[in-house]
Amino acid sequence: MVPFSETMRRLWELVTGGEFIAQFLDSATLFLTGFFAALIVGAPLGLLLARVRSLRIGVEPYIMTLYATPMVALIPFILSLMGFGFGPKVLVVFLFAVFPVLYNTVEGARSIKPELIEVAKSYRSTEWALWRDVMLPYTLPYTMTGVRQAIGRALVGMVAAEFFLSSTGLGQLIMGASQNFDTGGVFASIFVIGIIGVALMRLGLSIEQHFARWRQ
Amino acid sequence: MSQQTITAPAPAAGRPQPILRRSGGALLPRLLCGLTILGLWEGVVQLWAPAYVAKPTTVIAAIPKVIVDPQFLSATGHTLIAVAEGLAIALVLGTVIGLLMGRSPALERVIKHYVNGFYAMPMIVVLPLFSLWFGYSSAARLATIVFAAVFSIIMNVADGARAVPKEYLEVASSFRSTRGRTLIEIVLPAATPYLLAGFRLAAGRALIGAVVAEFFLAVGGLGYFILFNSRTYHHNEAFVGVLLLAAFGVSFELMVVWATRHFLPWYRRDEK
Repeated sequence: MVPFSETMRRLWELVTGGEFIAQFLDSATLFLTGFFAALIVGAPLGLLLARVRSLRIGVEPYIMTLYATPMVALIPFILSLMGFGFGPKVLVVFLFAVFPVLYNTVEGARSIKPELIEVAKSYRSTEWALWRDVMLPYTLPYTMTGVRQAIGRALVGMVAAEFFLSSTGLGQLIMGASQNFDTGGVFASIFVIGIIGVALMRLGLSIEQHFARWRQ
Repeated sequence: MSQQTITAPAPAAGRPQPILRRSGGALLPRLLCGLTILGLWEGVVQLWAPAYVAKPTTVIAAIPKVIVDPQFLSATGHTLIAVAEGLAIALVLGTVIGLLMGRSPALERVIKHYVNGFYAMPMIVVLPLFSLWFGYSSAARLATIVFAAVFSIIMNVADGARAVPKEYLEVASSFRSTRGRTLIEIVLPAATPYLLAGFRLAAGRALIGAVVAEFFLAVGGLGYFILFNSRTYHHNEAFVGVLLLAAFGVSFELMVVWATRHFLPWYRRDEK
């Protein structure tokens, strides 16, 4: 254990020394790349499944299974197949984040009231208008629940990738400090990651609530 | 085209159908999709990947060998026992703290931000710290599991304790129930559905915590089994471990859903 003052002193050193900023940007790049890749793949795929019923029924149990699988277990495979570059780390973040988005979007799609689509159809809505005015607005709040979960998971994925693949970013900050028995440094980095976690969770919640307004 | 789109929609969106017909109709597409996925995987690996990479045929071939391997069995046992122990500790600790936090505004004000903060923190960042404190041992793994699991239980139980209907508490106090008894006999049962929801989250997180801890600490268990085998290019054997983990993940999920339905049939809440 180290006293709080020591932790704060190390935190100050890390921030003013510039080391922290560099590592933070490194981590942020990884997080954002993986997260947006997951969003770009997960949300449209989920919507597609929403419309094509037979496909949805077909893949639903597999998505649910993958959603419940601890993705960390795949890290050793990714490591031995793809090595230590930036790509495999993005893949880890992607895998952590994509299934919450996909799962929740499909879940939302499942709960679309058939009447909504029937009414749209009986007014001879085109396929495009149906997507724009019914499918998208209806599933969006569910997708955003997935986005909130994905933000949290992507953060775990980011740290896991930085721990177990090549050591970079905030993960390396912690690892380096712990290998030097610099407990103050470990605490300082954990403190920072904790703050980032809280900030991201707040962000996720407000995004979710913003899009869920009409549900109430 | 327009003819077709007008007649097609009813089945395309039909959800309220008789259960029998629904599940009967679901089996075929599910089977087909599963086979397609496996086929794609097999094809891609056979065409482009090195021979040691796991593919469905070789993984299936490896299953009978692996599940009788005493090393694999003891690894599974170690991990499962650690997860069960960790969850039990987290359950007791989380329920107690959660109940107190939900019923005592003063306590809530004091610890709310810390609980939130720890909950939002990616749990694996504490591994280096725990490895310094507990050494590279199974104690560090247990601590990681407890840490991973406890905060989601606290948060959910506190939510549940806060949501207890006022009338229950009023009746209890008009019968001169003590605070302790009210907490255990009124608040706890009323918060049970929340507890289960928290437990469902916690179980998933505990499993991840156990695997990550084994990677990091090289403590014997299913996670370490996967790590070791994939490092020595026994990908098929390692993948059997992943399948088992997935099975645990899914069965935890199903167990909690079943328990909610079975023991709390009166309870419905939007999934969070």
